[in-house]
Amino acid sequence: MSENYKILPFRFARFNESEYLLTNDVGEYIFLSNEDFEKFINKELDVKSTVFQDIASKQIATTDNVEDVVNMLATKFRTKKSILRDFTSLHMVVPTLRCNSSCIYCQVARKNMDDHEADMTKKTAKNVVKTIFESPSPCIKIEFQGGDPSTYFEMVKYIIEEAEWQNLFKKKDLGFVICTNVTLLTPDMVKYLKKHKCDISTSLDGPKELHNTNRPLQDTTHTHEKFEESIKMIRKICGNDCVSALMTTSKYSLGHFKEIINEYVRMGYNNIFLRALNPYGFAKQYKEKIAYPVEDFIENFKEGLDYIIELNKQGTFFIEGYASLLLKRILTPFATGFVDLQSPAGVGIAGAIYDWDGNVYVADEGRMLARFKDYYYKLGNVNEDSYQSMFNGEKLHHIIENACTECLPMCSECVFQPYCGADPVRNYSEQGDMVGHRPTSDMCKKNTAIMHYLFELLKKHDPEINRIFWSWIN
Amino acid sequence: MKQINGTAFNIEADILGRITLKGKSIFSRKDEILVKSDAKDLPSGYAALITNSVQIAGRKPCVGNVQTLEDFNEGDVVLINKKGEIVFLYEIKSLHNAIFATERCNHRCIMCPQPPVAEEKDKTPFNLKLISLIDKNTVEIGITGGEPTLIGDKLFDLIKQIQKYQPKAGISLLTNGVKFADKEYAMKLAMCKHHDLQIDVPIFSDIADEHNRIVGAKTFYKTVQGLYNLALFHQRIGLRIVVHKQTYKRLPQLADYIYHNFPFVSQVAFLQMETAGNANTNLEELWIDPYDYNEELKQAVLLLANRGICTRVYNAQLCVLPREIREFAVNAISDWKDTYLPECEECKLRQQCGGLFASNQKHHSAHINPNLEDITASACV
Repeated sequence: MSENYKILPFRFARFNESEYLLTNDVGEYIFLSNEDFEKFINKELDVKSTVFQDIASKQIATTDNVEDVVNMLATKFRTKKSILRDFTSLHMVVPTLRCNSSCIYCQVARKNMDDHEADMTKKTAKNVVKTIFESPSPCIKIEFQGGDPSTYFEMVKYIIEEAEWQNLFKKKDLGFVICTNVTLLTPDMVKYLKKHKCDISTSLDGPKELHNTNRPLQDTTHTHEKFEESIKMIRKICGNDCVSALMTTSKYSLGHFKEIINEYVRMGYNNIFLRALNPYGFAKQYKEKIAYPVEDFIENFKEGLDYIIELNKQGTFFIEGYASLLLKRILTPFATGFVDLQSPAGVGIAGAIYDWDGNVYVADEGRMLARFKDYYYKLGNVNEDSYQSMFNGEKLHHIIENACTECLPMCSECVFQPYCGADPVRNYSEQGDMVGHRPTSDMCKKNTAIMHYLFELLKKHDPEINRIFWSWIN
Repeated sequence: MKQINGTAFNIEADILGRITLKGKSIFSRKDEILVKSDAKDLPSGYAALITNSVQIAGRKPCVGNVQTLEDFNEGDVVLINKKGEIVFLYEIKSLHNAIFATERCNHRCIMCPQPPVAEEKDKTPFNLKLISLIDKNTVEIGITGGEPTLIGDKLFDLIKQIQKYQPKAGISLLTNGVKFADKEYAMKLAMCKHHDLQIDVPIFSDIADEHNRIVGAKTFYKTVQGLYNLALFHQRIGLRIVVHKQTYKRLPQLADYIYHNFPFVSQVAFLQMETAGNANTNLEELWIDPYDYNEELKQAVLLLANRGICTRVYNAQLCVLPREIREFAVNAISDWKDTYLPECEECKLRQQCGGLFASNQKHHSAHINPNLEDITASACV
């Protein structure tokens, strides 16, 4: 065994019968045949061989001064993690729990339209905005959640204007999003949102029958028609790109991804985010009604992705959002902000949610847990606690310490680690503690399966698929 | 450089001056060289006279017997010597004018078209004067060498001089980047605050040893650090890859390496090799018919372009390039070096084509064929 090259840190996995996949901390990857892999780790590769040079090019091994290479890796690592520099930029605010929908998978203790018990007060709203602007982030995105925030539009307006007022002095890159089923929006409201540069984010679960099953409105059987009407009205006022849509996969969506995708295309969308249901804290019997094994989602996702690639090949530019996010992590040197899949986890440090009563949680799911009187993920209350005590308190430190894939059991040695993220809230709610147990984790199953599939596609070196993937990334 | 020869009269030392055909007022003739046909004598005040006459009266400096007076343009800057050689240091009609900061270099590239000298006297005072004579509306000036950073802080004097005399001109600084591994030096460049400066740095391989072998010095990681420092100070960086037998094989991997390690660069240029200087001496080890590296070049260019990096191919003949990457080709051969082959006469693409280096007349691709259809040529902004 000669010491002709030095091996730098990398993770690996047997990818299939004949190949290994190797990745390093900055997300560069290489496939090696079993034979080359054996030779490589035994330091038997010829340093002039193409295979060794390819490995060296990815900085997984080197013949040079290690410090020189580590310097470059450090630069790339800083870039990949540059999201951390800014701290919390996504601030979700719940102006009310009232809602006119009764979605089958709703996890919020929503209130009826005439029940004002869970409406935010002006005093709380003012303190919410004050707390938000204490964040050191140069970008502030305020996202209205609910309930349906359109049911208490006066409060939405109050918060937008309060934030704009604060921003006269803070001069941050301030943006707004309202998450709504859009059916209660009037042209005047939409004009207001346009004027204040508030994006609209809605939910579309698929074609009429499926959408109506998953997301029925309380007072009508014509949910989908009303939805479509509103979308037309909004687009007429603010243009085609101002209203984005999210889908959630219920039990009834399985087997229908093609129709769901077609519905998005028909509605004029050029992207979809095929999203699995996160059945946090549902009572067992209820869970069975709408939930499904994660394996079913994975199969459906792959079929959906194949179908979307096919659409692109036929000339319809259409993005699958989750694949696009992961591909950006796999193929580019850049940082990607996605609160739900970060390491350290985005909880509190990338996003936070302010409930109607002023309670601050590290994530929306923390708010769901509070419904069952579990306040573990509550950082404090804007009416009582200072920004420092909430966002630099022991609790958030403790959570984040347990939310780095770099050191979580099994994640730390997983070949997909550089692309993945931790979710302490979900581990806690499903598996009893923040660290979690990967072999039985649905989230782990889903993410590793999807990433494995993406690597299979990349490994084909199909110029058309690669071109499509890059068109999604850019 | 373009050069015209005549017969020297009364020239003792080199004279640097600006060409005038129409003449200048008596108060601003000091640095002007008058070009006039059938002149017998030089009106007073000019630096020198260039003429086709053979009979020259008087004791003033003059180059006579110059038969191609139409080659001179108002505003060109030339250097004339006692041998009667007129060297064009600046051509007003060219877009490829450059200042040679020094002929020294800390690299010994195996394909260097202008091999460096070991010793020379400081060229900066001469260059400062040269810049002061260059037309103020010039749009682009190169600073090259040798390795321009070897003159140290005097490089910034050149840049400031250009800022003063050619306020609109963009500067392209061709450097191996090694000196910028010194963060303070990179900062000083940034402090010049030039409005349109691009630093063009050659890189030859994603493998340090390969790069070092080609440049004849162990400087790969210094160049890397130089690039990082320049990026740190938000300088605009272009990377240049000269393609030859020792670099073509790993072009796709190099492109990927650039994307992952230097995504901040504004431009990546692939250059066909000029077979002058060392490249000619080492031709056996370097020459490959550009046609034979088309596949690697295509992969590398498309890889970078797909990733949103501005990519260009310099010095290539359009007929030799694969169709998919012709749109990235740019004609950037200095005018005095740019030539075409007889078969290029009837080619429809001649106007858009880079043509050949004069020195490549002997060594060029065996696949040059006049193109008879049109294509769209475009370049990135």
